[in-house]
Amino acid sequence: MKQLISGNEAIFRGAVRAGASYFAGYPISPTSEILQQAALYSEENREFRFLQAEDEIAAAIGTISASLAGAKAFTATSGPGFSLMQEALGWGHVVEAPCVFVNSMRVGPSTGMPTQPAQSDLLQIKAGSAGDYYPIAFYPNSVEECFRLTVTAFNAAEESLSPVILLADAFLSHLYELVDLESIDINIVPRSKEPLGSGQRLFTGTAHDKMGNVKTNDPEIYRAWLWEVKDRHDRVAEKYPSFEYLPCKNSETLLIAFGITSRIVSSLKDRFSIFRPIRIYPVLEKELLEVTQSYRHIIVVEGSDGQYASWVECAICRKVMKVPCLGGGFKFKWIQSQIEECLKGTDR
Amino acid sequence: MRRFPHTWCPGCGIGAVLKNVAMVIKELGWNYQNTVAVSGIGCSGRMSGYMNLDAVHTPHGRVLTAAEAIKTVRPDLNVIVLSGDGDLASIGGNHLLHTSRRNPDITVLCNDNEIYGLTGGQAGPTTPKGTKTLTSPRGEPYLPLRLGRMLTLQPPYFYARTTVYHLNHFKTCIREALLWKGFSFVDIISDCIELNGRRLGFKTAHQMFKWFDERFHIVKGERDHLQENELGIAKAVVEEAPKPIEKVEEKPEIPTDLKPFTLQELHHFDGTGGKSIYIAYKGKVYDLSTSPLFQGEKRMRCHLAGKDLTKDMDIAPHGEDLVFKFPVVGRLK
Repeated sequence: MKQLISGNEAIFRGAVRAGASYFAGYPISPTSEILQQAALYSEENREFRFLQAEDEIAAAIGTISASLAGAKAFTATSGPGFSLMQEALGWGHVVEAPCVFVNSMRVGPSTGMPTQPAQSDLLQIKAGSAGDYYPIAFYPNSVEECFRLTVTAFNAAEESLSPVILLADAFLSHLYELVDLESIDINIVPRSKEPLGSGQRLFTGTAHDKMGNVKTNDPEIYRAWLWEVKDRHDRVAEKYPSFEYLPCKNSETLLIAFGITSRIVSSLKDRFSIFRPIRIYPVLEKELLEVTQSYRHIIVVEGSDGQYASWVECAICRKVMKVPCLGGGFKFKWIQSQIEECLKGTDR
Repeated sequence: MRRFPHTWCPGCGIGAVLKNVAMVIKELGWNYQNTVAVSGIGCSGRMSGYMNLDAVHTPHGRVLTAAEAIKTVRPDLNVIVLSGDGDLASIGGNHLLHTSRRNPDITVLCNDNEIYGLTGGQAGPTTPKGTKTLTSPRGEPYLPLRLGRMLTLQPPYFYARTTVYHLNHFKTCIREALLWKGFSFVDIISDCIELNGRRLGFKTAHQMFKWFDERFHIVKGERDHLQENELGIAKAVVEEAPKPIEKVEEKPEIPTDLKPFTLQELHHFDGTGGKSIYIAYKGKVYDLSTSPLFQGEKRMRCHLAGKDLTKDMDIAPHGEDLVFKFPVVGRLK
C-alpha cells in the first residue's frame, strides 16, 4: 500500500526494518521528527530503547555504547549537533562499534540558517574527528531511497564494524512522497559483534592490540591496526559502489550532483549527462575517473563551496567547474543560469 | 591478569581502590558474564582494563552516558563505573547531573585525588582552595566543587564518602553502593603522592593517609547529608511526587435580594447612547460605567459590554479582583 511519508519518517522506518533497537538523540531541526518517532515507537515497543540525551555528545556516546552492549543503534542530528558528535565518532571507529549516524545537513557554520538546506558537512564526515579514519557515508535523493539506504547503512556498519553516516538535507528530511515500504524487499545483515558480558575484552579508544591491551608506544601495532581497518572499510565500501549515471548523447558536459541537487538538475538530463554519487565516502574514485574521461567539461553542482568538487579534482586529477548553491538557494532557474555562465567562457 | 604490571606510581591510591572493588565483586559472586566495568580518561580511567571483565574505556568525561546506555540495553548486566574526579565532575559534569537525574541502576566509584594526575598535576574541580598546582602556582583561587552537596539535592540518591585509608569503611561503602538499586555514587578520597602530595609537602603516601585521618571522621547511622569532613553514606529513596493541585470550583454565593437580570436585559446595558455599562461575572452583574477602560466605548479590547464575561477571565492577563472593585447591581437569572 502506498503511503505519503517524509524523508525523516522513511529513515526511521528503515532503521526499524534493519533491526535497530536503540535510539539516542537531542532535538534539532530538521531531524527532530526522527527523535519524536523514536519516542513514540518506544512507548509501543518495549524492546526498543529510547534516550533523549542532555546533548548531542551524550546522544552519540550513548549510541556507540548501546552498540557495544549488543543493540543495533542509531542517532540523528544536523550540522551543529554533528560537530558535537565528532568525538564519539572517532571513538566509535577505534572501538569498532557498528552503528548509524544520520546527519541532515543545514546551512552552517555554527547555527547558520535554521533551517535552510545545505550540503556542506561532507568534509566533516571525513575530517571532523582527530586522527585518520575511514568512514562510509551514503546520500539518498528520494524518500524511498532514504528507507533503502538506511537499511544499507546498517548493513555496511555491521560489515565494517564502524559508525556509518547517512547524509540527508533539510529538503529531503521534510520531503513528502508516495512510497510503498512493505513491498521493498531488502537484505538485512544480522548483528555481527559479540555483546558485552561475554568475555574479558577491553573496548578502548586508546591504541591497542588485538587482545585489547593498551599499546601506546608501538608504531608497528598502530600501523597494522590502521591498515586492517582501512582494508576492511574499503572492502565493504566496494560492495556498495552506488552511483547513478545518466549519459546524454552529444553532450560534452557532465554534471555531478547528489542529494537534493541531483533532483533539481535532473530536468536538464536532455542537455547534459548527469552523474550522481550515492556513496559519498569513500569517494568513487574509479567510477569518477572512468565516467569523466569522455567529457570536456565537468561541473559539480552542490550545496557547499566546492567540498565534493575538491574530492572529484583529487580523484580525476583535473580541474572542474563549480556551481555552489549557498545559503539554501537551490532555485532551478538560478542553477541553470550558473551552468550557462560556466560554459560561456568555454568554446563548447 | 595478562595486562599487569599496571601503569600507576608507587604509593598511588588507585591500587587500593582496584583491589577492594575486585574483592567486593568476588564476594558478591559477580563475574564477567554479568558485570561490566566502564571508565573514563585519566589515571583512574585505566582501572577497568585491569579487571577480568568486559571493560569499556570511553572518551574523556563520557563514562556515565556510556554506562547508562549499556544498562538500558542490557538490564541484566551489573554496570560499574570506575573513574576519577576530573573525568566525572569537570568534563563530565553535565552528564553527572543528568544521569543522576535519570537514575539508572549503575554504581559510580570516583577516585577523588583532588588533582589531574595523568597530565602532570594541574588543578582540578575538587582541588581545595589555596592548593599550589602546576596551573595554580599562587594557590587555587576558587572553592572546590562539593560533589556531596550537588548529588544529594533531590532524592532518590545514594552518596557515600570514604577514603582509601579507612579500609573497612571503604569496603562497606562499595558493597552498599553495588547493592543499591538506582544511581549510587561513592566519592573515594584517594592520594596522589607523586604529583600532588610532594608539592603539598608530604614525603610518603603514608603521610597523606595520616592527613586523611586528621581531615575526616566516620559518622554512623542513616544520614541525609554529609558535612565536608564526614565519611559515611547519605541516601534517600524517592519522595512521593507532589500531586497536581486540583482546581476546586467554588460556587459563589449570590444574594437573592439582588435585582435579577436575563442575558437579554443585560445586553441592553452595552454603554451605547449614554447607557450604563453592565457585565456579568460568576452570576453577579457589575456596573463598569466608572471603569476608565470601558469609558465611552462599547468594549475594552476583547471584552464586550453587556455580556457574561466569566469565561473571558481564563485568558485574561489580570485576576478577578479587577472586577470585584466595581459595584454589584444585580444577579444573572
